[in-house]
Amino acid sequence: MQQLLERIAAEAEDWTELRFQARQTRTLTIRNGLVESSTSVRLQGVGARVLALGVFGFASTTDLTERGLRAAVAAARSAARTSAAAKRDRVDRFASASLARGVFPVDTRDPLDAHSLEEKLALALETEAQVRAASAKIVSAAATYDEIQDEKILVTSDGASAHIFDSKPSFRVLAIARESGDQSLGYDTVGVTGGWSDLFAARTTDELVDHAVRLAVDPLSAPQPEGGTVPVVLDPELVGLLCHEAIGHTVEADIVLGGAVTADKIGQRVASELVTMCDSGLSPYDPHAVGTLPVDDEGVVTGRTVLIERGVLRSYLHNRETAAHYGVAPTGNARAFVYSDNPIIRMRNTYIEPGEHEVGALFAGIRRGYYLRGFAMSGQADSNAEFMFGVREARRIVDGHVGQLVRGATISGNAFRVLESVDAVGNDFAWEKGAGACGKGQAAKVDAGGPHIRCTLTIGGRQE
Amino acid sequence: MSQSILDLCQSGVRAALRFGATDAEVYGQSAETTSATIEKHDLLMAKAQRETAFGIRAFVGGRLGFTSTNDVADLERACREAVVLAQASPADPGNVLPETQTIAPVAGLYDPAAEQYTTDRVVEQAIEMLRIAESVDRRVVLGDAEFVSKRSERAVANTRGLGASERTSLFLYSALATAKDGDRVSNMDYQFGATRSVGEIDVEPIVRRASRNALDSLGAEPCGASFRGPIVLSPQAVEALLVGLILYQVNARNAVRRQSRWGDCLGRKVAAPSLTLVDDGRRAGAVAASSFDREGTPHAPVTILEGGVLASLLHNAYSAAALSQHNTAHAIGSAQTIPAIGPTNLAILPGATSRDDLIAEIRQGLLVTRFSGNVDPVSGDFSGVAKGAQLIADGRVARPVSGTLIAGNVFECLETLSGISQEVETIASLTLPYVRVEGVSVTAA
Repeated sequence: MQQLLERIAAEAEDWTELRFQARQTRTLTIRNGLVESSTSVRLQGVGARVLALGVFGFASTTDLTERGLRAAVAAARSAARTSAAAKRDRVDRFASASLARGVFPVDTRDPLDAHSLEEKLALALETEAQVRAASAKIVSAAATYDEIQDEKILVTSDGASAHIFDSKPSFRVLAIARESGDQSLGYDTVGVTGGWSDLFAARTTDELVDHAVRLAVDPLSAPQPEGGTVPVVLDPELVGLLCHEAIGHTVEADIVLGGAVTADKIGQRVASELVTMCDSGLSPYDPHAVGTLPVDDEGVVTGRTVLIERGVLRSYLHNRETAAHYGVAPTGNARAFVYSDNPIIRMRNTYIEPGEHEVGALFAGIRRGYYLRGFAMSGQADSNAEFMFGVREARRIVDGHVGQLVRGATISGNAFRVLESVDAVGNDFAWEKGAGACGKGQAAKVDAGGPHIRCTLTIGGRQE
Repeated sequence: MSQSILDLCQSGVRAALRFGATDAEVYGQSAETTSATIEKHDLLMAKAQRETAFGIRAFVGGRLGFTSTNDVADLERACREAVVLAQASPADPGNVLPETQTIAPVAGLYDPAAEQYTTDRVVEQAIEMLRIAESVDRRVVLGDAEFVSKRSERAVANTRGLGASERTSLFLYSALATAKDGDRVSNMDYQFGATRSVGEIDVEPIVRRASRNALDSLGAEPCGASFRGPIVLSPQAVEALLVGLILYQVNARNAVRRQSRWGDCLGRKVAAPSLTLVDDGRRAGAVAASSFDREGTPHAPVTILEGGVLASLLHNAYSAAALSQHNTAHAIGSAQTIPAIGPTNLAILPGATSRDDLIAEIRQGLLVTRFSGNVDPVSGDFSGVAKGAQLIADGRVARPVSGTLIAGNVFECLETLSGISQEVETIASLTLPYVRVEGVSVTAA
């Protein structure tokens, strides 16, 4: 396949990118003692992207014969040429880059295929049973094991030719508790780039069960928070979420060009000088972060990109098109989820660098505030950096001590103002290593994290 | 492809039986999609996609395995693997195929004119959306917009003698607009339209509405004081805040899972008497109309809530068997997923009051155009940002407000629901009115 793709790309009249992808996903869901799903999905195909007359055209096909592939290239070329007359701002440059050649295997000593269906099923059954046995208040329980394994061959007419393997397993535990007509949901997840033992090195199933059950049972009698703007301590998962969702999207160069709040702010102070924020295709501090990838889907070798350095905005995230527009090197952020998606600018592993404070010291300075941990199901951020996130676990801080749980907390505000308000950064670090994905017209497996931080933001709550 | 999708589904069923299945179902779909995308107020790209996929459910007694492949040559292997997955799983008595029924075709699902809808016409429609936005006001920016033309065929066959197929055409168009006036930037507004017929394609209303809503939110200021009181939800906000939670409760699979609060509430009052909710998978001209569901059961109209009383849950074959209730033909999903449960063309029936009269009765409140937030479907607690919101004072819309949070409990809102408008809007497959609810916490940022 690689030789065929190289030959077709070499013969192309216009710049051409061909991406073969074979994906195998497996899912096992156990709910209330029954197998809700045992599935195996296999898909394969080629996505062809052509740059002609300053416009991209894209086509995808599942016909992997030479004739089928050449037809896809012709369709992509035709789509580009058809669009040319209507395109206002044409792509007149395309940044050169260190293009990948060779084989890029999965970084693991324990591949998923070394573990049988029976072993995976047994673990899911046993874990789900643990949830139901943990409390008499649990009325519904579920455990889900998921794995995505990819093989990609990426070839471009200007020299990339990479054979890339990827493996991303995840595990999710859900518990629903009920008491006196009141219901509450708790869950925990873990996900990595790597193999079987890498997944459970990040969090054991016992830890997932304990956490999910606690999150379901404890809020049953908890009050809602009072709304208002208050000092808070954010855990690494919420720090990561803030980095990814509220800041990260505003520094994706395609969003910047669309009028994001970060436009023209390179070199300007946008956050507290305690804040240094990065996005990386590697997994610094702790291996196997979910968004780890050695090569992006334009064939650019990935690395670490410093976005904010001691409070000053230093870089956007680029593909080869936007890098040329800004006259900088591509950062390796062009990604496509499946063969039928065209590559667009996406984050990988996004984080704030650890600081100097002991985590315990972050709470000491707060008289009335909240300790906020984890992300609850939904959130949203605009290109002006205004965000809203549900919080999975919120506890009051009173005179420096973490205390009462509250339920249904939501945080919102402008992410840059939140980062300006950061007055202490912990010396710890953790990736979220969750099971979720980022959506931007297509999915992407990403990770985010950082240390604990102390800042000020608005909590939505009940008014009397 | 020399064989039809239905022929391939039927050969897959025979293969699954050969490999040891006691029952089997194969669902196939093929689609040709052409799209043109607007980004940053300029044409971004045109795309052409072709795909075929098959989903196989193999039953071995009450054991179930599911596989999917998008490679016709891989179909037999996928059937064998589905049987292996079933054999490795414990049995569940709910794992059954639906009863086979005669399917009456729904008219108007396929427009042959769609075959002439080539890439250049798709691109023309996208460019037309740009022109319309500019004609509304030069301050409007189409950040994202898309025009999609899709022709599909789907088929399902099973060991109970079912063999059905159907062709559809679909045109989808969406517009996300913001308005910029100097340093002032509005909230974004998103509108969506769809039709199955070439003659009914009309991108203008959605682009105009998105543009107008964006312009209306220019100059929004903070709400001022926090309060607890009534809010009026636009149809789009009704979808985000109320419909999702209702659908979670009436999804019979969630009743089987013991996750629905309404699982054992059939015939009981769960909402205000003014609320009636219906679903009709056969409604002529509606974009989610089709003759049969993902499992091949023919669609029929269903009343879900009648005067606030729970009249029916939504079922597929699994939940109907597990709860011993009637299968309402609400199996949904693609060839790459096990059949789930979901609505088709869902509607909240209109009320007797105009939107303006809902507002006129409010001394202090909020009109919410979009809700961006978190609704916990289990507890019903919600909290989030009221987007494109307008402050209501002394019975009138006073001014746009920004950064305003709303919080409360959806179950309580359904009980305290105090008004439904005469006016309804169609949002893809949903038909929804304006709705007024009471006792919502409004927090000024």
